[in-house]
Amino acid sequence: MDETSLIQSAQKGDLDAFNTLILHYQDTVFNTALRILGDDDMAEDAAQEAFISAFRSISSFRGGSFKAWIMRTVTNACYDELRRQKRRPTTPLEPETSDGEEMDSPKWMADPNMTPSEKSEADELEHAIQHCLEALPTDFRTVVVLADIQGMDYTEVAAASKVPLGTIKSRLARARLRLRECLRGFEELLPASFRLEGENTL
Amino acid sequence: MKNFREIELLSSYLDGQLNASESKRLEARIAADPELASVLIDLRATRGILRKLPARKAPRNFTLTRQMVGLKPPLPRAYPVFRFSTAFATILLVLTFAANSIVPRIGMGAAAPAYGYGMGGGGGGDDTAMQEAATEAPAAAAEMFVATEAPSADAPFAEMQPAPSTDEGTLREGEQAPKDVAPESALQDQVPAQSEAPIPFTWQIILLAVILLSALAMWIIQKSASRKWQ
Repeated sequence: MDETSLIQSAQKGDLDAFNTLILHYQDTVFNTALRILGDDDMAEDAAQEAFISAFRSISSFRGGSFKAWIMRTVTNACYDELRRQKRRPTTPLEPETSDGEEMDSPKWMADPNMTPSEKSEADELEHAIQHCLEALPTDFRTVVVLADIQGMDYTEVAAASKVPLGTIKSRLARARLRLRECLRGFEELLPASFRLEGENTL
Repeated sequence: MKNFREIELLSSYLDGQLNASESKRLEARIAADPELASVLIDLRATRGILRKLPARKAPRNFTLTRQMVGLKPPLPRAYPVFRFSTAFATILLVLTFAANSIVPRIGMGAAAPAYGYGMGGGGGGDDTAMQEAATEAPAAAAEMFVATEAPSADAPFAEMQPAPSTDEGTLREGEQAPKDVAPESALQDQVPAQSEAPIPFTWQIILLAVILLSALAMWIIQKSASRKWQ
């Protein structure tokens, strides 16, 4: 069954068809939520809320990119989660050791296929990128997550964020600029091919 | 330091968002301006770093259950018929009760002025007041009997004998003491009005049966549908 047929069935209330769509998009949705929120548990909650909300409002989907539509649902769920977090601050992203210090390379970030050294470097790089993403304003972060991490094109990002194309271009340029400045502080973690150029170009 | 417009152009160029002529113009400027070329390299590196970020697998499946989305089992086509008949019969039943309680009152309301005139100006259309008056009527007759017994022992007693039960007696007493007899005649006017309910009781029973049967059918349909669905 192709995506269009699954969407049409889901619009008629077929939950099994919608669950098939969920299985196809759940990694993308979870990753988007994780990069916007920076927390596993919050990302899980946001992803689940996004899928529930998407099922309830699937009748409003009028064609176009389903990925962009589902991404709009997840970004809305993330904004809700961030608002909730502002009202009730929760525990930090990093798990703590028994001494109460933050673990730089928490176990949950580990990839079993890597050597301990690679794992440590990858964890630290991921941590650094996440740190820089979290330093961005939420609107900029959303755009950069959708465009650069999820690889969506500008039109899809505009549809998912519900902002004009020009705003997407501007936000993306500003976000990249700020990330570039932030990542300069983690130069030693960056692979040689991604080392940033001169200090005073901007 | 490059201005933001140039950086925005470079960012769009990086993503292939510029048209052919814009791209050509920018490429010429990049070739001529090493600073611009350096910014482009940095932006490309930044984008590359972000793309290198490992994609994480969802920690669990986010598939939905019917409970999570509040889905109810699909009901057969007969279900709305039963629902409609229950609602309709309920409305009708309420209306029959309303009609049966309001219509006699309207009738009594119309009779009240006559009652008032008969009493010589006393009382109104109040139902309970009239009923009280009606129940007091035999007692009043008894008092009258005691009162009229005193002056003459034989003749008045003979006249009083049929008073409580016959119309003839009532008329005669009306001549003697219209004040006491009037409530009794009002009661007689009122009794037929109360017994004449516009909707027969049988109809109410039928409507009640329709409501109960339809509700039962709906319950059975719901149960069997949810059992099948599970």
